[in-house]
Amino acid sequence: MIAAVLVGFFGVAGALLRFGIDSWFAHHSSRQTVRAGGHGAGTSVRLHWPWATLLVNVAGCFIIGAAHGLSAGLGLGAEWQAGLATGLAGGLTTFSSWTTATVRLLSEERLGSAAVNVAANLVLGLAAAAAGIALVSTV
Amino acid sequence: MSGPKTSWAPRAGAWLAVAAGGLAGTELRYVLGLAFPEVSGSFPWTTLSINVAGSFVLAALTTVWMARPRTPFWLRAGLGPGLLGSFTTFSAVVFSLDQLVREGQHGVWTAYLGLSVGLGLAAAGLGWRTGKLVGRPSGSGQ
Repeated sequence: MIAAVLVGFFGVAGALLRFGIDSWFAHHSSRQTVRAGGHGAGTSVRLHWPWATLLVNVAGCFIIGAAHGLSAGLGLGAEWQAGLATGLAGGLTTFSSWTTATVRLLSEERLGSAAVNVAANLVLGLAAAAAGIALVSTV
Repeated sequence: MSGPKTSWAPRAGAWLAVAAGGLAGTELRYVLGLAFPEVSGSFPWTTLSINVAGSFVLAALTTVWMARPRTPFWLRAGLGPGLLGSFTTFSAVVFSLDQLVREGQHGVWTAYLGLSVGLGLAAAGLGWRTGKLVGRPSGSGQ
């Protein structure tokens, strides 16, 4: 029961943090679009790239790795491990935004951007998870 | 977005909707994990199913909302980043991949990686097209 409460609490925290980061990036990318206006002949320069999703996914992978290390190394309770891994890391990271943003890039025929989006999330996410596990294990 | 002093921060209603959607999405994923537990070293079917289903729905909603831009922002925020963003998870996929690699389960992690990316993108692509069909204004009214 306590695990479900912790999962819910940390899940909401993760979702709000992700929404905040998403909104911040959405606002600041609109300025970049103006600045980069001279690079093409067309008037609409599509510069959106899912930076916010990459950031929250990498951060969440670090958190789930650290949560694993904390429970294995420092005896963190199972309910707190669930709260941090399933709640915080699970709520902060998102799979559906990652795939939907990739499909959006593909629909705009930005194949390179789509491929980089897939690879960057996976490679940096795996590195961050390994870093989280290693960091806590050495403490 | 266009005004000189507009804040990047959304209104309170949107944050509340994200919190409510985030709570529902996270608990739903948690309960599904309890009902269909993922055993260490075996294929994580529960997370894969959640992520594929969530990718389809979010992509469909995205193109429906593109066709219907007057959908209230709080509703889009609550269902998109809130419910579906929290229901699906990236960190659990990556963590399972890490553990499967460490355990030497090379067949399992390769299949999990391939199916997550392949089915996830296919579901999002299918949802994207479905949403376009559904969201298309149909002759009379919306």
